[in-house]
Amino acid sequence: MNNVHEELKAVSQFLSEYATCLMASGVHTSRIVRNTARIAESFGFEAHMTLFHKTIIMTLRNKENTHVYSAVNTAKPGGINFEINSDLSALSWDAYDNHLSLDCLWDRFKAIISKPRLNPWIVWILVGLANASFCRLFNGDWIAVAAVFVATLVGFRIKQVLGERHFNHYFTFSISAFVASLIASITMWLQWGNTPDIAIGTSVLYLIPGVPLINGVIDIIEGHVLAGTARLINALLLILCIAFGMGITLLMMGGKLL
Amino acid sequence: MIDWQIAGSIFADAIGAAIAAIGFSVISNPPRRAILYTAILAAIGHSIRFFLLQYTGLDLASASFIAAFSIGMCSLLAAHKLLCPATVLYIPALLPMIPGMYAYRTIFSLIKFLQNNGNENEAIHYLLEMFKNGITTASVLFTLAVGATIPLFIFYKRAFTMTRASRHTKRESNS
Repeated sequence: MNNVHEELKAVSQFLSEYATCLMASGVHTSRIVRNTARIAESFGFEAHMTLFHKTIIMTLRNKENTHVYSAVNTAKPGGINFEINSDLSALSWDAYDNHLSLDCLWDRFKAIISKPRLNPWIVWILVGLANASFCRLFNGDWIAVAAVFVATLVGFRIKQVLGERHFNHYFTFSISAFVASLIASITMWLQWGNTPDIAIGTSVLYLIPGVPLINGVIDIIEGHVLAGTARLINALLLILCIAFGMGITLLMMGGKLL
Repeated sequence: MIDWQIAGSIFADAIGAAIAAIGFSVISNPPRRAILYTAILAAIGHSIRFFLLQYTGLDLASASFIAAFSIGMCSLLAAHKLLCPATVLYIPALLPMIPGMYAYRTIFSLIKFLQNNGNENEAIHYLLEMFKNGITTASVLFTLAVGATIPLFIFYKRAFTMTRASRHTKRESNS
């Protein structure tokens, strides 16, 4: 009698950790619900959950509905991480197909979330190259491409450093958009090249929060309207911050632009 | 006959999109095996859109929709092969198509509109610019997200068993 309750408690502790970790790593809502319910099913339980942007509410019950255990857990902070998304989804299928024990699940879970991220310096260089080739896609000339490359390297490094020190998200985005567009606007000051406007416009695009934007649309289509709207509003706020940072540059450049 | 100039410009476009996709995907720390496929998907999608815009006279939103739809379809095939969720592949692949210049022009005209004093003709011009660019930005963003997601719903069951390792072994035992 008591055993069932203890087991429910142990499983729900794992599941709420699992679900909040998925939330932090940028997974759309219905995948979180499905993955979590799948692991619960491998233990012979049913999991039902509500997800908000910052918290999850989950109830776990046995098949006869005689024992119930509820848990509320807050989402962990942490960046978007697709490797965790991919590996934790695979883990849920493994649990479903092979009926892994709870200890085994905990071990595999901890191994997955402690995997190191890509080297930040490699990411730094690749983002610079990416934004520079982005500028080329918008028909910028080579001077604009070079300006965007430098602007992105500086702006993205600022974002990385401020992110490591856990500064406010909105502040980080505004500052790095401001610095990147300021550096790109040097081409307009000195009248280098023919496409300084393209340089300024693309220099901040590495900041666009593409993952929450697309996840938000997926969530809304799948019926998780509240969660999806929360994601979209979050992404829009970040875009506003980028616009704000770039706006300051444009205002400073005002004399030249008019 | 193939027009080599067209082929060359499409190829250059595809390379640019692939580099952009690699850079934008590593920000979200994808599984290593997915990076190359993301680049290929982005190259396919962006060159389709480039072709449609340059040589068929389609508008930006419709061309983005078709490109995003093809990225979504191809991402399902790639996800099947790589055993990872399709969203992991197609979200970074869509990023090179984000209408950044239109977003920039929206903000630029907003500021010009705010700074305008007295000249009504100019104010109306910048207001129109703001709406034109703003609506293009919003509609392209929306069609990108929806277009890439539709394949997920067409193959609903399929799309959500991508990470199931046992589906390979099961298929072998069935056949």
